[in-house]
Amino acid sequence: MATLVQVENLRKEFGNVRALDGVSFRVDAGEWIAIMGPSGSGKTTLINILGGLDTPTAGQAIVDGTDVARLDEAGLTRFRAEKIGFIFQQFHLVPYLTAVENVMLAQYFHSTTDEKEAQQALERVGLGDRIEHLPSQLSGGEQQRVAVARALINHPKLILADEPTGNLDEANEEIVLSLLRELHAEGHTILMVTHAPPIGRLADRRIEFAHGRLVRPAAALKPELA
Amino acid sequence: MFWRLVFQLLRGSRGRLGVAILAIVSGAAVISALLDLDLGVQNKLTQEFRTLGANIVISPASGAPTQIRGAEAPSLMPEIEVVGTLQQLPSAQVAAAAPYLYIVARAQNIPVVLAGTWLDQAQKLDATWKLEGNWVASRADDSHCLVGRNVARRLQLAVGNPLELHYLDRSAPCTVEGIVDAGGSEDNQVFASLRAVQSLANLPAQIGLAQVSVTGTARVVEDYSTRLAAALPQYRVRPIRQVTEAEGALLGRIRLLIVSMVLLILILTALCVLGTMAALAMERRKDVGLMKSLGGSISRIVGIFLAEVGVLGAAGGFVGTFLGAALAYWMGLRVFGTAISPRWEVFPVTIALMIVVTLAGALPLRMLGNVKPAEILRGE
Repeated sequence: MATLVQVENLRKEFGNVRALDGVSFRVDAGEWIAIMGPSGSGKTTLINILGGLDTPTAGQAIVDGTDVARLDEAGLTRFRAEKIGFIFQQFHLVPYLTAVENVMLAQYFHSTTDEKEAQQALERVGLGDRIEHLPSQLSGGEQQRVAVARALINHPKLILADEPTGNLDEANEEIVLSLLRELHAEGHTILMVTHAPPIGRLADRRIEFAHGRLVRPAAALKPELA
Repeated sequence: MFWRLVFQLLRGSRGRLGVAILAIVSGAAVISALLDLDLGVQNKLTQEFRTLGANIVISPASGAPTQIRGAEAPSLMPEIEVVGTLQQLPSAQVAAAAPYLYIVARAQNIPVVLAGTWLDQAQKLDATWKLEGNWVASRADDSHCLVGRNVARRLQLAVGNPLELHYLDRSAPCTVEGIVDAGGSEDNQVFASLRAVQSLANLPAQIGLAQVSVTGTARVVEDYSTRLAAALPQYRVRPIRQVTEAEGALLGRIRLLIVSMVLLILILTALCVLGTMAALAMERRKDVGLMKSLGGSISRIVGIFLAEVGVLGAAGGFVGTFLGAALAYWMGLRVFGTAISPRWEVFPVTIALMIVVTLAGALPLRMLGNVKPAEILRGE
């Protein structure tokens, strides 16, 4: 399989703190990678750099042939719109937009809006009857499913999920995970930060961080489980 | 999607934006009222000043007396030359005009100043005159005259009485049609038709001076006076400066006052919007961080917020302009006794001013450009 993500000797410093210290790994297209480690180990920093939300201090972070470290502000904006789909722990929906408008917002920043397509994306995540609801009228699980629909709407090359089930109860966690399993089965590449080993085991491989370094670089899980 | 976003933003923040819209509507109402007043007050003041009488006088250039005393040779002007020129010039701004020939005649053996003029213009030229009786409706009416209050008292004349006017060996009868109370030198004069006085003085088609009342600002009066002077270079054409200058000075002061107040209100409105927008910008940081993470460029995101603010300014300006028109109407009634009608040009000017001021007040939204999505999404 072709390499979609290539990280080489990546470093990120916040003042005197080294959030990432010489991280290197590769992800093939279609893989589901679980990024694990204790709080403050650099997982979210890595996701932010790969998603173009932050820039590295040194090293390379190449996603689909684009070195994120070399992009300027406008380039990063375009990169985020075209190549990345984010799913956040706290959902991060715009509170005064309805479910379908939240999905259309991603379309708007990508290119043009298509309300029908946005509705279909919501129907796919089981929210066909919640299209015109505001986030405040949706449960946490439903809000996260809107976020999943939003992440998928522009057919991104890479889905970055930062603790996607961290704020959900078990039932909703299972719904969101089943959606991620579906996406993976369809060939989407997913990098998912999680604290929970059972969730981490759903991935093809697991990357573990401690103090900004890889302590278990890209260990294959599926063969072990098999 | 752009306008859908804009209106959802407006709806979502209606509580906080309510303060801003209140400031914009109030500011627009007062500004619109002031602008209506500024434009309306010119007309009102011009009308008020026109009641003070003529504002341009044409007289012989020599400065020789235009009033004939006994057999003294007067300095006169041919009536046809002056009247003809007045008729040739654009007349839209001329409210009234009349030639005059003054002689000192005798009535009941008492000398009186007799003014021959177009009596049908007297009311328009001297709108402040109080009249007992009737105005003379036709300038061709040689049989009726108007008598000043003091003359009427001395000669014990009442409306309808006959009056015999004598000059040298000639005489002319007339019936007193009205008694003038002007509160000035006119109270000591008798006013008869120009033709009758020319005939009495044996000065056919001659006049001593002409008075013109021009409507408009001091500048309009000056302009008309200049054109008249160019057309009649052999005579002295001069605006009555006390009237035009007083009018110009008053209008200038009023305009300065209104412009100062408009500027002050614009600044206050901008400050109020600024305060609201600063708070709103803080509230919107999270939304902006999210929009940036979704690939929204800062120009596109701030464009949405500026459009929201622009709609706010336009809507506030629109509502405020109507309120301002009503306010100007009421103020006109209170100050001038007649309503000041709203002027159409005030509407776009007020709305444009409000949009500009609101956008200026939206400067804090520029802070949103510095929002780092990673920090916002981390909850910092």
